[in-house]
Amino acid sequence: MHSSELLKGTLQTIILKILKDHGKMYGYEITQRVKDLSDSKMLLTEGALYPTLHKLEAEGFLKTETVMMGKRIRKYYTLTASGRSVAKVRVTEFMEFIKTMSSVLQVQMS
Amino acid sequence: MLNGEHTNYIIKDLTYRGIIADEFQDEVIDHICSAVEKEIQNGLRFIDAYHKVLRSFGHNAGLRETQNQILQTSNKTIRIMFKNYLTIALRNLRKHSFYTFINVMGLAVGIASCLLIVLFISDELKYDRHHKDADAIFRVDTEIKFGVNHVKVATNSAMMADALRNDYAEVEHSARFYNSSSMLIRRLDQNFKEKNVVYGDSSVLTVFTIPLISGNSKTALTDPHTMIISQQTAEKYFPNEDPLGQTLIIQNKENFKITGVFENMPSTSHFHFNIILSLVTEPYNKDGQWLSANFFTYAKLKPGADYKVLNSKFPAMIEKYAVPQLKMGLGKDFTIAKFNAAGNKLEWKLRPLTYIHLHSDLQAEIEPNSDITYVYLFGAIGLFILSIACINFMNLSTARSANRAKEVGVRKVMGSLRSHLIRQFLTESVLLSAFSFLLAVGIAWLVVPLFRDLSGKDLLIPFGSGFFWMIVILSILIVGILAGAYPSFFLSAFRPVNVLKGNVSLGMKSGLIRSSLVIFQFSISILLIIGTIAINKQLGFIQNTKIGFNKDQVIIIRDTYALENQVESFKEEILKDSRVLNGTISGFLPVSGTDRTDNSYWPQGSLPTADNLVNLQVWRVDYNYISTLGMTVKSGRDFSKEFSADSGAVILNEASIKMFGIEGDPIGKKISRYVDEKGDGNLDPNRTADLVIIGVVENFNFESLKKNISPLAMILRKSNGLVSFRFEAKDAQDVINAIEKTWKTMAPGLPFSYTFLDESFAKMYSAEQRLGKIFIIFASLAILIACLGLFALTSFTAQLRTKEIGIRKVLGASVSGIILLLSKEFGKLIVISFFIAAPIAWWGIDWWLKSYSYKAEIGVYVYLLAGVSAFVVAWITMSFQSFKAASSNPVKSLRNE
Repeated sequence: MHSSELLKGTLQTIILKILKDHGKMYGYEITQRVKDLSDSKMLLTEGALYPTLHKLEAEGFLKTETVMMGKRIRKYYTLTASGRSVAKVRVTEFMEFIKTMSSVLQVQMS
Repeated sequence: MLNGEHTNYIIKDLTYRGIIADEFQDEVIDHICSAVEKEIQNGLRFIDAYHKVLRSFGHNAGLRETQNQILQTSNKTIRIMFKNYLTIALRNLRKHSFYTFINVMGLAVGIASCLLIVLFISDELKYDRHHKDADAIFRVDTEIKFGVNHVKVATNSAMMADALRNDYAEVEHSARFYNSSSMLIRRLDQNFKEKNVVYGDSSVLTVFTIPLISGNSKTALTDPHTMIISQQTAEKYFPNEDPLGQTLIIQNKENFKITGVFENMPSTSHFHFNIILSLVTEPYNKDGQWLSANFFTYAKLKPGADYKVLNSKFPAMIEKYAVPQLKMGLGKDFTIAKFNAAGNKLEWKLRPLTYIHLHSDLQAEIEPNSDITYVYLFGAIGLFILSIACINFMNLSTARSANRAKEVGVRKVMGSLRSHLIRQFLTESVLLSAFSFLLAVGIAWLVVPLFRDLSGKDLLIPFGSGFFWMIVILSILIVGILAGAYPSFFLSAFRPVNVLKGNVSLGMKSGLIRSSLVIFQFSISILLIIGTIAINKQLGFIQNTKIGFNKDQVIIIRDTYALENQVESFKEEILKDSRVLNGTISGFLPVSGTDRTDNSYWPQGSLPTADNLVNLQVWRVDYNYISTLGMTVKSGRDFSKEFSADSGAVILNEASIKMFGIEGDPIGKKISRYVDEKGDGNLDPNRTADLVIIGVVENFNFESLKKNISPLAMILRKSNGLVSFRFEAKDAQDVINAIEKTWKTMAPGLPFSYTFLDESFAKMYSAEQRLGKIFIIFASLAILIACLGLFALTSFTAQLRTKEIGIRKVLGASVSGIILLLSKEFGKLIVISFFIAAPIAWWGIDWWLKSYSYKAEIGVYVYLLAGVSAFVVAWITMSFQSFKAASSNPVKSLRNE
């Protein structure tokens, strides 16, 4: 299990990338996806996920649509056009970051 | 899928746990449901699954934390925040529409006044800026102090322009204007009187930016008898024709060919010529006299040249050119050092073009200029009015805090932060300010035509300019934030516990700041009232003081030189009318804008020295001059046909007798001057001309009463420019019609124009009159806005004290007693304001009157009048509300709640 400290800075990148790859998703679905992709090594807490989603929405990177499911209302998130380009930038940035980290820490990334 | 029962349970439980935010609720329910479903699939019971999921959220604390974070994100979102503040602000403003109205109106009137004043000032500051390289253009002014004479003129010698260009490398171009006046212009058979006609060098087109629409600016004025005319003049004389190459007849005699048409000169220029005649036409342009000053001389310096350096070279120039001529007139041993040592002065000085309009008040200006004092004065008034309006705003908002204190308390209890409240109140005030500004722009747009007449300026609100709107928006924010800052910080600092318990001290008791602001407002209002009364009193004084002649019932017929030989018979013809009592032919009249010449004389029997040489105004008059204008002969006699020797006689005014230092009876004594025999401008020291004094007239005013009466002489000579008639008739129009009829028969094709002496006299004080009027308007606006604020404040206090008033009435208080009680608080403030304003006003008036030789007495009663009127107006304002409160039925005020 990775520490949440490490996770903090990458949360937006993760959400943006996952939404980019999968299109329309709702909150719980995102947590499950992260869990699957990371072999349960990474756990997206709800307390971190929802504020980040709302923030991205306020910034105009995400748009939402709601679907009634009986008594429940499910809110789906998708990337906007600007969100898509940001997702790309964030991932590239992160790749750069890993490269820099590997030379700073003097380790070889597999 | 979970069944409905379970879903309901989760929804209820989450609400119970405090998850209520719209943004989050649905989402978290769905999330938890989904998670619970998963756990149930893994084999857990519903309730265990639910608690496991809740644990992953961090139970209540975690859930609420998440919800708070989401709420904060959405609060930070500008759009939503603004929408919320805006809604609340609009609701609040609508709820208190009375205060909103007073606030907006007061602020709008204040801002509109301020806007007009800013337009006025910016127009004043724009003068002559349209010329290319305006900062490199200068006018050469002359100052001569010789004995008792002291003249400062805007003109210089005919030689100056060429000398400047030839002698000084830093002068790039120089140009002259000469004899700016009104002239008769004729194309076919109808003469028109055109104002603003001038002679000019061809180089005026290089020094100044006067764009030609047609014609060649290089050659336009180089030949004699050529002229360039403005576009509007061209349209007047040559509608739908090409004026280039056409001819106009000037002064009924000389033909001038049109070699160019220039764009109409902008109003913000210190000259507005319609016609420029080539100066080479006029032989006088070669006049060699260095001490005469008749040419407006301008120099354009090369880039980088410092005019102060050039200024410092003028003494050498005086030595080179003027001193030789002075030696001829004043003796061979004349030196400039001795001349200066005796307290005399001859100085040439460059004045920046852009300073002329606001800083130049010399004799013989092309047009009367404005004064920087007005700019300061109006700027101050604008600021005063704006501050009064802003203070209203602040006062009303803080006063209303009593009503809003509970709102603040509740908001704070509900978790509102101080910054939220500040933002809320600032939104309200910016919103009000925006309303006010829009209203103000509307008001300004409506009254700008009126203000245009009042200020004599061609003012326009620059609706099309982005800069203007930027300033408006910036001002909205500044005024809104400034005006809202105090109330918002004041209100948001309330402690909810105190407010909700009702412990906050409210109303006037806490209003120390509010009281001082009211004092400030009324001090300014009283100041403006005193200023207004003083200015108008001085104005009345000037116009009604003993001026030494009778200015009423005199009509002046203009341009009578056009009658040529017929002037005399025209006068005789008019005099046949029994309503016309007397008439005189003379271009010299005791109002500005008529002819003036001067010459230096000394008492006969001594040699001319700096001490006894007097610069006299020499007026050419006829036999009936003194009797027509109603001057008083103090000793001696008027000119008379019975004395054939009167052509060598002179009548002096008292001032000149004093200046000559003539002891005893002046009658029969003589005064002398040198004669310019050859006509080349050089005086011949061997030849003098003498005049015998036959009479002395009482001093009369012929210049603005700002100045002392200077020495004046009248001699019997022809001067055909004007004919004045004294008449006696109820209806002046009848007399005018009769005169016009005679004029039409004797001078067909010549324009008939007339003025009345008293009107021309009043015109000399048009600047002061304008000032007086504008002061009245803005002073009334200031007091109106201040009273508007006071009105709202009293109504507010009265409302606050409804219960108290009710109880007092039940206990037997009278209506008048209650009115007194309510008015007392503000009455005190106005009395204090008076004692602050009076000394400042006294000081200001004293300063203003310094520029006048004749001052009106501004007595104590003026101050008292201003104080009392401010008090009365304020009191009427207050008593209206107080009376309403005092006369209401106590049952009503005590029964509610």
